[in-house]
Amino acid sequence: MDELELLKRDWQRGAHRFTQVSEQDIYKMLHRSSSSIVRWILIISILEILLWTGIGLCFNRDELTETSGGTTIGTVYNVLEYVNYAVTVGFIVLFYRNYRMISTTASTRALMKTILLTRKTVQYYVYYNLVMISVAFVSSFVMALLYSPQIATLREKLEENDLYLVAVIVILLVVLSVAVLVFWLFYRLVYGILLRKLYNNYNELKKIDL
Amino acid sequence: MSDDLEKIFVRQLKENQNIIHKICRLYTKGQDAHNDLFQEITIQLWKAFPKFRGEAKFSTWAYRVALNTAITLYRKSTRSVQTVEFEAGWHFVPEHEYNYEEEEQLKLLYEAVYQLNDIEKALVYMYLEDKDYTEISETLGISEVNARVKMNRIKGKLRKILNP
Repeated sequence: MDELELLKRDWQRGAHRFTQVSEQDIYKMLHRSSSSIVRWILIISILEILLWTGIGLCFNRDELTETSGGTTIGTVYNVLEYVNYAVTVGFIVLFYRNYRMISTTASTRALMKTILLTRKTVQYYVYYNLVMISVAFVSSFVMALLYSPQIATLREKLEENDLYLVAVIVILLVVLSVAVLVFWLFYRLVYGILLRKLYNNYNELKKIDL
Repeated sequence: MSDDLEKIFVRQLKENQNIIHKICRLYTKGQDAHNDLFQEITIQLWKAFPKFRGEAKFSTWAYRVALNTAITLYRKSTRSVQTVEFEAGWHFVPEHEYNYEEEEQLKLLYEAVYQLNDIEKALVYMYLEDKDYTEISETLGISEVNARVKMNRIKGKLRKILNP
């Protein structure tokens, strides 16, 4: 007997042999790629906070915090640090919520809404981080200028001559803008790719929404 | 509107899912690969669904898109970044009504088909589904004569694999 004929007989008889996928499973599959992107956003944001915390621990600021401890700017700095952690954790919670929403949603409408929401959340997160970087940068500079023992000579010179002060402020601004630019590029690279993919998904869904 | 379209698609797909299961059966080995390809085909079908205007039957349209996915897309993107797992919960129900000897032979046959290349598998699929050569040639974009020749070669190839 022809081998293929035997196979054909089995084939046509065997339609019932596959356990059936439910409608719920199909919905999940359709929304899978968006949910995987949002999951990456969540993972990356967590990795990011770990990275910054790690870097923060590596830099020894003891000396500076000791001298500035008790002063107003020192306190402000510490409070800012805690606020920053709280806000970042808040963002991670939001990312997680978005991820949960995208993984469990069963309607395209809701999915599109969540995609837009996720985009917004990420944008706010990036803006927040850029502002925070600037604030941290300026405040630590001011703190160093006021209290760091290493730059005492600079401090004396600043008191003598206003021109030095202008020069220092200009340099500070240049360095700050470069730093913000670098971070902005970093965020564009890391989240930009994911957001673009997510937006493509959104457009795919929109096309269907005739 | 979009929700309606999605509902229609999901219902149609659910009703016709055996088409996809069968294609996965020929193109993959093991449950995970089967599920992967099933997902991939589902997504490709969904992407293509707005272009499906009901000129053909859903089942005919679906098997063509599914075969194309199996042939081109899946091969390129095997094990790509898509890492989301979900509880799909489907598995093969063991067949009881066959005798042992025939079951063994079938196992070898499926194994042999698995060794064919992707285009040959597509031909085998359409042959098993009793598609005529006109349809086979249309789906694969080859001439009818060519399709027949290919089919004969496949039979020879399978015989060789089974009786080395």
